[in-house]
Amino acid sequence: MITSSLAVIILICGLLLADYRQSRETQVRQQGSALARLLVELPLDELVPSRGRRSVVDALAYGLRDTSLAYAVIVDPAGSPLLDVSKPGMIVSAAAMVAEPSVWLEEVALEFDGQPIMEFRAPIYSEGKVIAYLRLGYLRPTFGVTRDHLPFLGTIALPVFLLTPGFYFLLKREIKPLRKLRMEMEAAIGFDEAQQIEREASDALDGILDAFTRFVERSRRRIADLEEHRGDLITSSKLIGYQRSRIETVIQSLPEAIVVLDEAGVTAFANNKLSSLIGINPAGVVGSRPSEWLVEDDLLAYLGKCETKGNRGYANESVEYSPTNAPEKTVALTAYPLFAPDRNAGGARGTLLVFRDVTLESMAKSARGEFVAHVAHELKSPLNVLRMYSEELLNADDLAEEFRVEAVNVIHDEVDRLSTLISNLLSLTKIEMGSLSIDRQRVKLNELLEDALNTVSRGGLGADLQFRLRSPRVLSPVAVDKDLLRVAINNLLTNAIKYNRPGGEVTLAAEESDEAISIVVKDTGVGIDEGDVDRIFDKFFRSDCESVRKTSGHGLGLALARQIVELHHGTLSVSSVPGEGSEFVIELRKEPGLVKQAI
Amino acid sequence: MNRILVVDDEPHVVRVLRLRLERAGYLVATALDGESALAAIEQSPPDAVITDIQMPGMSGRELCDRIEELFPHRTFPIFLLTSRAEVEHREWSKKISNAVFLEKPASLMRILSELEDYFAAGQAVQR
Repeated sequence: MITSSLAVIILICGLLLADYRQSRETQVRQQGSALARLLVELPLDELVPSRGRRSVVDALAYGLRDTSLAYAVIVDPAGSPLLDVSKPGMIVSAAAMVAEPSVWLEEVALEFDGQPIMEFRAPIYSEGKVIAYLRLGYLRPTFGVTRDHLPFLGTIALPVFLLTPGFYFLLKREIKPLRKLRMEMEAAIGFDEAQQIEREASDALDGILDAFTRFVERSRRRIADLEEHRGDLITSSKLIGYQRSRIETVIQSLPEAIVVLDEAGVTAFANNKLSSLIGINPAGVVGSRPSEWLVEDDLLAYLGKCETKGNRGYANESVEYSPTNAPEKTVALTAYPLFAPDRNAGGARGTLLVFRDVTLESMAKSARGEFVAHVAHELKSPLNVLRMYSEELLNADDLAEEFRVEAVNVIHDEVDRLSTLISNLLSLTKIEMGSLSIDRQRVKLNELLEDALNTVSRGGLGADLQFRLRSPRVLSPVAVDKDLLRVAINNLLTNAIKYNRPGGEVTLAAEESDEAISIVVKDTGVGIDEGDVDRIFDKFFRSDCESVRKTSGHGLGLALARQIVELHHGTLSVSSVPGEGSEFVIELRKEPGLVKQAI
Repeated sequence: MNRILVVDDEPHVVRVLRLRLERAGYLVATALDGESALAAIEQSPPDAVITDIQMPGMSGRELCDRIEELFPHRTFPIFLLTSRAEVEHREWSKKISNAVFLEKPASLMRILSELEDYFAAGQAVQR
């Protein structure tokens, strides 16, 4: 502190002295040049009087003895002194004078005995000739601190010296809260806790500090708010993202292909099903019109109708077609207008195109039509026979007796056939619709098999066939629907008889293993063509094979038998050698309930 | 005596038709499928053919198409027995000359009267 105040004092003094010297030098120069001009105007004999008389210069030197005038010398052009008035101890050196001076007044810097001298030279003329030179020498003002300066410097240094500590303490007092403030701010940046900044400051800073504290406090609260806000925003944006992905998942998982057209009819969105359903890449269609990616004319005509008629064009109708890229499919396209949530807000905002795979439906539709046609045919064939025979019986009186017998027999058989057909149809339909409840009871299979075989062998058909029943004496009882199983076995036996060779065999056998009971119906008949094996269980399938065509049948027996067996969770399989015979095997698992319990 | 060819996969129908037509004074040939019917026509062309439409193997329609193809100059009519009086049949039958549809179950009386009408008309033309 002392050092700095001293440095300030020294600096101030130095500056003052430099200024003082400068002004002194200017003063000397003015005085010197003015005096020199004045003196050279005087005649030489007044300047250098004859012996015994006092010169003007002497008087002048006397008058100026306290100033810095060092000497006043008048020399002749050769340089020899004519008059020399100088301060005691000052020896004026000789100097060569210029014979033809170019200037009236010249300032020369000299040095005598280590003292810098400012010398003013002026030529003295008489009748146009330089007769002498005046040399006025002044001591050049220096930096040196003389005794004269001390009171002046002291006067300046004292207040500075006295004021410095005052200033220092004042500054320090003012800086202290600022420093504290800085520390507080550093702490505040860390947000340790919302503490009030303590203040020990003057009134001037008090306001600033107060305002600053409030500013910091507000900023802190604002930041906290923003942080909280940011958290909320992140949470809500996550939620939106989650909902978005959920909706997207739903849209992409829809079984339908969805395409959204905007108001201008340009594709805005298409889900991925578009490629799997109609073989069009959904990314490629966005931004283009349907006419650019749909090649089917009837679709474009349908869409055009929606476009031209406005909202009324969107009927609930749809158009069915087979996509060019997937001709095996049948796809229904329906266009729906897209409205804003508030329906009154305006017209349609675009169009939603839904492509639905209706292959199965259309297949089912045609299958249903086929089924009905089959049924009609199968019903009408026996009716045809009935009608013709009954007509003959009615109208012809002169019929042979054997024709009457034949007619009655045929009518009887055809009625049987019709009734079997109808009951098979009903059972099949019930099973397919799931409305047939199966009534499982523990059944002694031996009795059931024996009964079934007896019934068919007595039925008049296959009178020349051998019937065999092979089964172990004891069979585990199984839980089956007795009536339904009987129908299945009966259908298999009927086939075994119908398609047998004359004098052939029909075998009904049962085998039991640990897990299952198999019922085998074997014949020695025509067998089944290899190509037909897979289809014999289809409804209304009848082989084109000649022996089958000759035999009456409606193609439902095996279909029903399989349905019944499958209803019992069993399997019905077939193996056949054409020309040698077929073997149908019903395999029923024993006591499925018990097996389940064991597991 | 007019010769009639009866084609049906149902043996009972063939039998009763043969009996009835023979009693009415026709000469009757029978076939249980299309192939044998074509063979019979080739052997000796009948004066009329009665055939079922729905038959396994060659159907009545196919039989008609083959007859059209093999005997383009035939004069005998074809009586078609069908359980399905479907539009597609009607469209198709336009291509077949001299075809008559009879709906199943067909009455013997109806078949006989159709035949009689046809032959009566034929005789009238001949006169």
